[in-house]
Amino acid sequence: MPADLSLTIAQDSQDETLWLAMSQADILRFARALMQAYDVVAPRRKKGRITLGSLNDAAELELEFPPSVHSPKKFLFPHWDELFRFKLDGNVLLEAESAAPPRIIFGMHPCDLHAVTILDDCLFEGETDSAYRAKREATLLIGVDCVPDEHCFCTSLGTDRIAKGFDLFFHRRDDSYLVQTGSAQGRQLLTDHAPETMAGPREAPLALQVKRCDSHLQFPTESLPLLMKDAYKDPIWKKLGTDCLGCGGCTLLCPSCYCFNVQDKLELNLKEGQRVRTWDSCQFDQFAKVNNGDDFRSSQSDRQRHRFYRKYKYLWDQHKRTACVGCGRCSRECLAKIKPTEVLNDLFTQAPSQQIANSPGSEYQPQMAKVERIEVISTEDRLFRLKIAESFNFQPGSFLQISVFGLGEAPFSIASPPDGSDEIELVVRRAGALTQALHRVRAGDSIGIRGPFGNGYPLEKMAGHDLLLIAGGRGLIALRSLMLALLAQRENYGRITLLCGARTIDSLLFQEDLLEWHRSGLIDCRFAVNEQHNSWGIPAVDVSYLFRDLEINAGRTIAAVSGPAEMYRQINPLLFRLGLSDEDIYLNLERHMKCGLGKCGKCRINNICVCECGPIFPYSSVKHLAEAIEK
Amino acid sequence: MKTRIGFFDFTGCEGCQLTVMNLENDLLQVLQLVEVVEFRELMSEEVSQIDIAFIEGSITRQQDHARLKTIRDRTKTLVALGACADNGGVNLLASHQDVAVLRQQVYASDAVHLLTEKPLPLHEVVKVDYRIPGCPIDGREFLAVLQALLLDREPDLPNFAVCVECKLAEYPCSFDYGEICLGPVTRAGCQAICIAGGDRCRGCRGLVDNPRTSPYHRVLEEHGLSVQDILEQYRTFNIGEEL
Repeated sequence: MPADLSLTIAQDSQDETLWLAMSQADILRFARALMQAYDVVAPRRKKGRITLGSLNDAAELELEFPPSVHSPKKFLFPHWDELFRFKLDGNVLLEAESAAPPRIIFGMHPCDLHAVTILDDCLFEGETDSAYRAKREATLLIGVDCVPDEHCFCTSLGTDRIAKGFDLFFHRRDDSYLVQTGSAQGRQLLTDHAPETMAGPREAPLALQVKRCDSHLQFPTESLPLLMKDAYKDPIWKKLGTDCLGCGGCTLLCPSCYCFNVQDKLELNLKEGQRVRTWDSCQFDQFAKVNNGDDFRSSQSDRQRHRFYRKYKYLWDQHKRTACVGCGRCSRECLAKIKPTEVLNDLFTQAPSQQIANSPGSEYQPQMAKVERIEVISTEDRLFRLKIAESFNFQPGSFLQISVFGLGEAPFSIASPPDGSDEIELVVRRAGALTQALHRVRAGDSIGIRGPFGNGYPLEKMAGHDLLLIAGGRGLIALRSLMLALLAQRENYGRITLLCGARTIDSLLFQEDLLEWHRSGLIDCRFAVNEQHNSWGIPAVDVSYLFRDLEINAGRTIAAVSGPAEMYRQINPLLFRLGLSDEDIYLNLERHMKCGLGKCGKCRINNICVCECGPIFPYSSVKHLAEAIEK
Repeated sequence: MKTRIGFFDFTGCEGCQLTVMNLENDLLQVLQLVEVVEFRELMSEEVSQIDIAFIEGSITRQQDHARLKTIRDRTKTLVALGACADNGGVNLLASHQDVAVLRQQVYASDAVHLLTEKPLPLHEVVKVDYRIPGCPIDGREFLAVLQALLLDREPDLPNFAVCVECKLAEYPCSFDYGEICLGPVTRAGCQAICIAGGDRCRGCRGLVDNPRTSPYHRVLEEHGLSVQDILEQYRTFNIGEEL
């Protein structure tokens, strides 16, 4: 051994990662040597399939192979695992667990190595599972690289590569391999069984390989917890329940599913036996059944949902990682063709857009919407009709962020009703630079929109009630969305009264519509303007004046109020005097909602974000907030 | 005193009893715990009281009814052994045709001594306490049921599909070869022996308690089967009559 090389070895610290070259012949020799000391498990071809099994002949070792049917779980956490033996007569006799055989799993794909770390997380947590630990400690893991097939989606979960969690890892380099050490035991394996390799030169680390999966998630995994948080009642689980054959293949083949059953198996002499652990599945009929016949997860839909939550939500909450490694085994073997990527992408597509980010920063990126029509509705206001790419759901009172590149973004109440249409209306008053720029926009131009954001007036709760709508100035815009929604199903509601205040007749928006609704008896509209000698010849009063001859049935009335905070200070006491309860008064507390995502803090009222919790609030939920209405 | 067990047969191929005898060494071990008091394939004695009777075959003739009832009367626990006894098995194929025509086809005469009627599983004639499904039965399952009865424990059959055992054994799926397989709705317990042998599952062990028939039928339709074809698939082993 040259002196300089021995120096190199002496300088290697025990936990430093080494990269060493090995030829095919070196690897064959290495495998042969390992087989003298270990049970070497490797991929075997069985009936045209790749299954992991003990290697009989080192020449059969393969380092490049498609995903195996079962994962290495079948050796680390086997389907039939003897926990102890016992004798039936008299006292139960415990026998020491037989030692796990020293074993090497030669051929762990990165996803399977990740799955072992998940099993470690789950089975070492709390009371350590000693039966698992015994096998885990007696087993060395040698990783190899892989080529994803059409079911793999490891690249979406970041499990297509691994930096630790193996003892050795073989990377392909041209016609030979580079072996990377990952543990002291791994180095020792090379020292003991491939001394020539260990004596060879240290190689430079290989650059990470770029892999491509045909199946993938359309969103980053960090969004999964958010996505799953609101998906519990999604109809998709029902659909999965009707597709699923309940065979449990998905969980049995999953490299990280470890739910099990414990049973006593007796010898034929009925004098002794063993207590064994066998794999169980949350997809099976008896899994969540109890003795009195109750079944706590009786439908296949519930069971599939449970599986998805176990894989993508519950473990994330504990360990900040999914319990899925994207190996694709569940879908590869599923006769019903249930694919996790399809299920999750479906959930993602349906989820409200503000919830989940496509890529870093994308929640801030506007979509472009075409301006269909612009209508001048007052000297200062224009009504914009926008064509959006896809219709979205919102409640009257929700808002959109409108972008003009170069000038920024500002929130606008949606003025049209939530009718499933792909056209949306907004009212833009000329005020600052951004709104002036919007007033220069022509039909046919495109502007940026983001949203919808926020909670609005509760249409469902309003059904069957009388409604008292109170608008002050531009607060009417949010109420227009509400009124159009009410009129679309007018028969669902009782009496609708609008008390509408404005500075001047000219600034009163949607005059024609309001007068038309009033004349046809659909909405009882009453007006107050602060303008002496106005063109309508009505007395100059404020909106509180309209309460004087108001007759309402407090028990069946819900109030929707939208206007400046000053108006609430005036109106709320009048509403209480009418007998309305805190829960039945809905207020529009719009602030400067800059981001719409509950992050920027600009729209905070004390400790709540208006964009997330509002802008429409029942009075009961804001009355304790000093900043809400009081000055 | 050892538990007294007996084996009986009606219309069937005796393959289930043969499976028991093929247990050989295991059977010899079991004999340390039980006494076989009747077994036509082994002995000619008859006794008045039996603890456990394992009965193979379907009931196809009038005189069988009386014989089965006498066995029931002198037996504490009666176990249907195999598909013919359990649910009628392949015998029930006869019930889809006119018996007279069938008799003419098979025996080419009236065959008075073989005057058979519509085949019945045991439970349509007497109370059956437990059952061991399959055509033939699985020897290990027979031993497990016997063990349970000897320990005064409820014998339990797997309530999941053959697919489970197939996946555990890492066999290729029959559907991947374009074969129609009844594994997804058939009760496991056979260790997917037919799949292991290169065949498909034909449902000899009967349906699981809660077969997922609608997704299963969808899979079959995707593989080009009509409803009639599907029923034909079920009919071989007389499963899914209720579907």
